[in-house]
Amino acid sequence: MNPFWSMSTSSSRKRPETEEKTLTGELRTSPPRTSTKKQLPSIPKNAVPMTKPASPAPSSQSTNGTHASYGPFYLEYSLLAEFTLVVKQKLPGVYVQPSYRSALMWFGVIFIRHGLYQDGVFKFTVYIPDNYPDGDCPRLVFDLPVFHPLVDPLSGELDVKRAFAKWRRNHNHIWQVLMYARRVFYKIDTTSPLNPEAAVLYEKDIQLFKSKVVDSIKLCSSHLFDQPKIEDPYAISFSPWNPAIHDEAREKMLTQKKKPEDQHCKSMQVSGLSWVKPGSVQPFSKEEKTMST
Amino acid sequence: MLFLLIEEQAKDAAMGPILEFVVTENIMEKLFLWSLRREFNDETKIEQLKIYEMLVTQSHQPVLHHKPILKPLMMLLSSCSGTATPAVELELAVLLNQLCSILAKDPSILELFFHTSEDQGAANFLIFSLLIPFIHREGTVGQQARDALLFIMSLSAENNVVANHIVENTYFCPVLATGLSGLYSSLPTKLEENGEWHCLLKDDWLLSPALVQFMNSLEFCNAVIQVAHPLIRNQLVNYIYDGFLVPVMAPALHKVTVEEVMTTTAYLDLFLRSVSEPALLQIFLRFILLHQHENVHILDTLTSRINTPFQLCVVSLALFRTLIGLHCEDVMLQLVLRYLIPCNHMMLSQRWAVRERDCYSVSAAKLLALTPVCCSTGITLTVENQAKDYILWTKATPGAGSCIGYCESMCIVKYGRAVDISYLQYLWEAEAIILHCMKDCQVWSAPYDGEDPDPDTFIQTLAEENSKNVEHPMFRLQQRTSSNCSSSQITPLGEKIQLELEWDDSYDTGISPGSDVSSPQPYDDLGTVERQLPAEPPKHIQEMKKNAIMLVKGSYIEESDFQDDVMVYRLCAQKDAQDDDNSKEETLSTATESQNTIQSKPIKRSLKNSHPDTDVKEHNRKNSGLPQDVTKEQINQKAVETDSQPGLELKLSPPEADQNSNVRLLSPDSEEFIAQYDKIIEELDSNTTGLEEQKLLTPDPVSPVEEEEDFENFSVDTPSTESILSPFGPKEDIFSNHPARSQNAAFTGPFISVVLSKLENMLENSLHVNLLLIGIITQLASYPQPLLRSFLLNTNIVLQPSVRSLYQVLASVKNKIEQFASIQKDFSGLLIQAQQYLLFRADMSDVAPELLTKENIQHSSGTGKGRNLSEASQILLQPFLGHRAKRVTALPGIPLPVRNAVLAAALFPEFLKELAALAQEHSILGYKILGDVDDYY
Repeated sequence: MNPFWSMSTSSSRKRPETEEKTLTGELRTSPPRTSTKKQLPSIPKNAVPMTKPASPAPSSQSTNGTHASYGPFYLEYSLLAEFTLVVKQKLPGVYVQPSYRSALMWFGVIFIRHGLYQDGVFKFTVYIPDNYPDGDCPRLVFDLPVFHPLVDPLSGELDVKRAFAKWRRNHNHIWQVLMYARRVFYKIDTTSPLNPEAAVLYEKDIQLFKSKVVDSIKLCSSHLFDQPKIEDPYAISFSPWNPAIHDEAREKMLTQKKKPEDQHCKSMQVSGLSWVKPGSVQPFSKEEKTMST
Repeated sequence: MLFLLIEEQAKDAAMGPILEFVVTENIMEKLFLWSLRREFNDETKIEQLKIYEMLVTQSHQPVLHHKPILKPLMMLLSSCSGTATPAVELELAVLLNQLCSILAKDPSILELFFHTSEDQGAANFLIFSLLIPFIHREGTVGQQARDALLFIMSLSAENNVVANHIVENTYFCPVLATGLSGLYSSLPTKLEENGEWHCLLKDDWLLSPALVQFMNSLEFCNAVIQVAHPLIRNQLVNYIYDGFLVPVMAPALHKVTVEEVMTTTAYLDLFLRSVSEPALLQIFLRFILLHQHENVHILDTLTSRINTPFQLCVVSLALFRTLIGLHCEDVMLQLVLRYLIPCNHMMLSQRWAVRERDCYSVSAAKLLALTPVCCSTGITLTVENQAKDYILWTKATPGAGSCIGYCESMCIVKYGRAVDISYLQYLWEAEAIILHCMKDCQVWSAPYDGEDPDPDTFIQTLAEENSKNVEHPMFRLQQRTSSNCSSSQITPLGEKIQLELEWDDSYDTGISPGSDVSSPQPYDDLGTVERQLPAEPPKHIQEMKKNAIMLVKGSYIEESDFQDDVMVYRLCAQKDAQDDDNSKEETLSTATESQNTIQSKPIKRSLKNSHPDTDVKEHNRKNSGLPQDVTKEQINQKAVETDSQPGLELKLSPPEADQNSNVRLLSPDSEEFIAQYDKIIEELDSNTTGLEEQKLLTPDPVSPVEEEEDFENFSVDTPSTESILSPFGPKEDIFSNHPARSQNAAFTGPFISVVLSKLENMLENSLHVNLLLIGIITQLASYPQPLLRSFLLNTNIVLQPSVRSLYQVLASVKNKIEQFASIQKDFSGLLIQAQQYLLFRADMSDVAPELLTKENIQHSSGTGKGRNLSEASQILLQPFLGHRAKRVTALPGIPLPVRNAVLAAALFPEFLKELAALAQEHSILGYKILGDVDDYY
């Protein structure tokens, strides 16, 4: 229930660049990606402007309290740094996307590829405390309460606390929370469960547990194409396969592997200057034929 | 008949009857012979040239394939060579241009041209040869000739025969390259000084016809290199290096007066910005980075000039801004990175932190916390901030339990949390320049992250490469003679003693002695470096000179044997020497030191001799083994050197006057001088604290009048106590630009040192210097290499005590500003005026139509809205706004003595924001996979 600050203006940046990884077109975020990633897409039309700002000139106020005024920037960039870390980790089957309205809220989806929860597709939302990174650990709440010992059967909240009893800056990162969220579906822990029923069944009656899990997965899948629970331009939403839209995207994704080499060659010629031979520390050590001796 | 011929349409492959008649009857040749027998004057030539021009351009059938037409054409053309009058030349150029464009379209005709020439027994490929004399011509003739040549050049790219012919049998490349030298010599040696300029913009050089002509030729070289066959490209590039950069630019950069040096530096900067072809840029950079003039690297000389109190400093800074903006690995390696690679600047335990990222914007916060309290109350420095930039702060509460109840309340932050809107602009811009830089750095050979290149093997690699590369004439010998570098670093020490000394030192760093314009001198006794220079210029150079003379003389006939013993460089040299002489007489204001003159030059010479440059390794070992002794000794040497120079500058003229008749500068009685030098050294050795005392002994030179204003600015510097502290830490650092020695000493390189020390004096610097410094540091800080990034922006990293970090320097500036504010009456009022002035300047610069530099393009493109100071700095700085600039100069309310300080105080917070923004952007951009970078463009 933490109230949190968020920053969202046309000039603040959130870089929705995860989408390279999205699966073959099953997954679609609601606002169409604009071709220029450089700048935030302008406010999408379907996003209802929240309220008119009462007085539009906050900047004319004096800027005393210099340091405080940059706090939001630090927070924003801390979260962006966390996000880039997540991207870098390339957690298998885990995708997240910060919300449009707040960098403190991330939408995510997790695909379980084997084990008891195989074929599970679970959407979730991560809530990050506004005093990040000095506050509590982030909360992770599944859209639908998955049947799992560590998931609250009512709220759908995952017990993150047990893994991050104390959130330590520099040591704990949000990608670790996501990794943890993924792991709980592969390696099931039943100690002090949020869902005692699931824990007991897992210990005592694995067959019934399995069937409950299958039901839970089915339930989640049946709601897959539902509108996102939180209305946000960057909320993750799914739509049925539509060749007209998705084939092209899929094609693009599959061909993308070749591209980097070409690009590299091209950029070699176009820009960038270096005549240093790799492994050397001498300027102009890369002797092409350009200079005769 | 001609018109009929033109109109005639060819049927199939057959000739039309008129053409057939012309061919069988050999009409054209008859016409030519007839004109020869009659009066063969310009008129008849022009008429015939016109006929051919019409024929080739307008005829519907291919006429050039027919020998009876081609042959007389060639005869006519060869008759026009050499002796043409302007009227004929004009027509000739038009015709040649047309012929070349036809050649480019139909290479089969090329063969015909070659063969016809062979038949004649004359120099083949006549068209080409005829064009060469016009290369450097101004006006339409030159332009058409150059265009025509470009046609042939692009032809050569696919045709080896042509390329070979041009390389082996014509003087195209030599003429082109030496032509640059010739044109350069006619450039103005002094530029009109209108108070504040630091670099030449297109607007400016268009006003100078000589410069336009030079730039045309340079652009032509660039174009040739772009399109021509690699053979031609390589030859041309080499000729430009050996025939222009080394013999002309190098001495010009070491001219005697500050104005001349400044002008040359500004030219060099302009050239660097104008050249776009990597191959051509490479030799310019190679020249700057590796060439040694008088045993000192050009780069070191340029670096040392940053510390001068003159306008020269501004021009030099501008050049460095250009260099750094190239994002060239070689430049950055030589300038900065080589000193950071060994990681000696930081504590050993900190090495892991090089690659660390500042996840929580700690560094940015620390940088912004340096904002002086007195500066935070001012006007908001955004121009058009109100209307569109405001930040909405969403206060959102996730619904209890489930997420469905997502309610939100919105408010604009009011309660004391005003947000600096302009900071968003800085962030946006920081992202743009970092991404731009990252993209350019993709081709770099190493990440420079503290591991690759490996700090520990770095020294070793250096040494190995040295021994390996000795053969290469352009190779940079690692033993950097410390003369010029060190003098710049001694300068701060000198401040302690005497104002004039610093003035002196800097003056002399700009100008090395013996800066005559003769070709490289054979120092027989100077060890390896010098021995590599051939005593005689290489054969091709000699040849080139010969050709250049022909060019200079205005005629170019390949066959004619020129036995002119006046070499073109000598011509230039004499001209320059005369100029030098005149200007020197102006500066030579005191005669009292004339006695010193005679001594000082040989001292400098022999100092170089004394460096054990024969065996670098041994030298290093010796240094590391006996650091104290060696250091002491070197300090003494330095003392001699720096002391000797001031006099030297002023008194060069007597010997140089002699050189007028005998251009080659060779000190006649060098042995005697060496003996004198030895004696002085002996005396110094006995005097352990030689450095400071020697300084005191130095006579005060008289300041040249023309630098009075700068001098005044500079003198503001001295009362401040901070400047007494040497920003360079222990004295050993001064000499550790020796790479091998840097293994032990913590040193971040002369460039960083000079820039940081200059920055520390922000309050005394003129606005331009500060804007350039800010620009340079910002550019440096935008490089993604962890070594650079961590050194400049990571405020947590623990450096060696002797190393000044950017943060420390900024903290010092902060203190100075606060101190200044506390004693200055009505500081806040002045500050607001300064801010308004800066904004006004920024608005003015909006009018400035185009910014030329490559690196500025993206910079300026982002400046549409929400402009703020530093962002506009690039534009602000543009000199020569011509008439416009003059309107800006008024800065009414701020009294002159504190003007620089107040302006600096207004700039400083913006600079901090810029740096903080870079730090923040680095923390999130670093993870980008390089391939993704392209997506942003």
